[in-house]
Amino acid sequence: MRKILVIARHEFIATVTRKGYIFAVIGMPLFFLAIAAIPMIVETSGDGSSKERGMVAVIDRAGVVDFDLAAKVIERVEAASDSSSSLGPKKGPQLTSYEDLDRALADLQRRRIQACYVIESDYMTTGRVSVYVRDEGLFSRLNPPGERELYALLRASLVKGRVSEPMLQRVLRPVNLASMKVSERGEVQPSESEWDEVTKLIGPFGMFILLTMAIFFSSGYLLQGMAEDKQNRVIEILFSSVTPEQLLAGKIMGLGAAGLLQVAFYALVLLVPSMVLVVTVQVSVGQLLLSLVYFGLGYLLFASLMAGTGILGSTVQESNQLAAVWTISSIVPLFVLGPISESPHSALARGFSYFPLTAPVTMLLRISLTSVPVIDILISVGSLIVGILLAVRGAAKVFRAASLMYGKRPGLSEILRWLREA
Amino acid sequence: MTAISLRGVRKSFDSLVAVDDVSLDVERGEVFGLLGPNGAGKTTMIRMIMDIIRPDAGRIEIFGQQLTERVKEQIGYLPEERGLYTRQKVLSVLEYFARLKGATPTRARQSALTWLERLGLMEMKDKKVGELSKGNQQKVQLVATLVGDPEILILDEPFTGLDPVNTRMVSTVIREQAAAGKTVLLSTHQMALVETLCERVFMIHRGRRVLYGHLDEIKRRYSDNAVLVRAAVDYRRCPLIARAVPENGTMRVYLNDDVRPRDFLAWMLQVGAEVESFERATTPLEDIFIKVVQAGEGETDERPEG
Repeated sequence: MRKILVIARHEFIATVTRKGYIFAVIGMPLFFLAIAAIPMIVETSGDGSSKERGMVAVIDRAGVVDFDLAAKVIERVEAASDSSSSLGPKKGPQLTSYEDLDRALADLQRRRIQACYVIESDYMTTGRVSVYVRDEGLFSRLNPPGERELYALLRASLVKGRVSEPMLQRVLRPVNLASMKVSERGEVQPSESEWDEVTKLIGPFGMFILLTMAIFFSSGYLLQGMAEDKQNRVIEILFSSVTPEQLLAGKIMGLGAAGLLQVAFYALVLLVPSMVLVVTVQVSVGQLLLSLVYFGLGYLLFASLMAGTGILGSTVQESNQLAAVWTISSIVPLFVLGPISESPHSALARGFSYFPLTAPVTMLLRISLTSVPVIDILISVGSLIVGILLAVRGAAKVFRAASLMYGKRPGLSEILRWLREA
Repeated sequence: MTAISLRGVRKSFDSLVAVDDVSLDVERGEVFGLLGPNGAGKTTMIRMIMDIIRPDAGRIEIFGQQLTERVKEQIGYLPEERGLYTRQKVLSVLEYFARLKGATPTRARQSALTWLERLGLMEMKDKKVGELSKGNQQKVQLVATLVGDPEILILDEPFTGLDPVNTRMVSTVIREQAAAGKTVLLSTHQMALVETLCERVFMIHRGRRVLYGHLDEIKRRYSDNAVLVRAAVDYRRCPLIARAVPENGTMRVYLNDDVRPRDFLAWMLQVGAEVESFERATTPLEDIFIKVVQAGEGETDERPEG
């Protein structure tokens, strides 16, 4: 055990004092901050006239719109959208009556207005409305500004004077939705607003992202470390003092700690301030412990696989190429992040939870979203333990044989023979 | 006391038998030469001694016991395929290797500094290994082998790539270690150095033992019945000799089969020759090496006792 600790300490110090590591630790948060800052910069430097409260022209050739209602309608539309989001009130565009299409189009070009709607003269029989927007790519045509406000204004104008005030309210806002959650045990609870739901997820989901990153950073360091030891030809010297198993264990500990430190730093720099500013973190102790279990198991699995793979290549680059097979299979759950997030108990989610290579990422995700059935936890932990045992044994065997092969990459048949032998 | 003992050791890789039924003993405090042409099985033997690869059959013991972690700590190993952490500082690399040999942090640092001082590398201690010249890297490599203060040194081709100055330095270190009671197993192709350093040798060819024993004894066995003479005498008059060939200012005199060197010396004195020097001619180890290898199949009659 003493030698394992000596190796772990050496690997940890050697890694965290590397320029590449320090750059990754400091550079990554800066990169993320820069990415986050871009939309803000664009926002503030954009066309102020149309951002504050944009203008949308409406040419009413059918004579159905009551523009006196416009301000009231927009207020209602905004109130309705505000209740489902706490991201700050969204200011919709102001609807303004225009007489002349040419003038409207000229204003559109000069960016005085965001869009121009023409309610055609046969509107009452056909419902025909034309919209003019600047050609700024696909999305400008898909979602023209002021669409929602115009619909509300038309609805209100059409029924004005024909229905009572309460009826008008319902026409403008037919549903005031109260949603309820039914738990697996059949308990009914009022569900929080979307925003509350989102803030509730930030903690667990942030934890999912960070722990997933930690698994890949740390096992990536292990891959690199192993490949470098082989490239530097120090493996044989190390084996004259320690067993392959001790070397593997020491490296797993030391580089795992380096990866965790990196992620802890990210958490400190990025996540904590944003949580403090936006919302209090809501992570239950159970969620945290369970996530740490999956982090530990996931790291052990991928670290062993990476170590075994790292030793196969003659150079770091070659080992990286070989390890891609593990990386890709482990991130498969991220490709189906949507379906798993929507239904965390689906057959797909469960299937991925039971397969060792995909279990860590899938389970970390599911834990962050919902409470996972005990049976799923038991099966996935069991399969991960089996996977880890196989990977550690395999890595140690491959170590012994492959570490002494220099300048030659073993074939698949050779690797399989090593796994059977020794 | 026997430091390293191999009994009936065998190792094959697929159909290739790398080491075939090898037995040998390396005694404590001796410098033992392990010889053989490229691919003969030397490195495989060494790796089996170090438990880096496992033998298919046979028994290997260090100081009378199987290789445990504690026993491993008593061996300093310089492999043929060697390298160091090029991005790390010299002193920290050496401390790390010493600690893996069981030294305490203080002892590891002390030992590393002592050896760096001894080999004139003190100024390099805070440099990265990759920044050193090739010669200095080789020295650091040797220090990495010695820094754990091992009882046994296993050196696989320690002179490869060294200039004459560093070759002499490594030879001196080997001699000093042996004088201090340490055991040295030396695998090398440099026959001249084996002759000056080793007392006993083992030669392997195609996985099998072809020579084993005291160097003097082996050299005698492979020598022609000849003497090296510096004397003023007409050799043609001597009935005891087959022929005489000049060699580096002396005369290599081949005696008839039944004639002993002392008989020839007596004849020279009898005829009143002035003898400046007289010594028994031995065959250089290099010639024996080539002879044995050329003899082919690894099946010679060289199966000395021991």
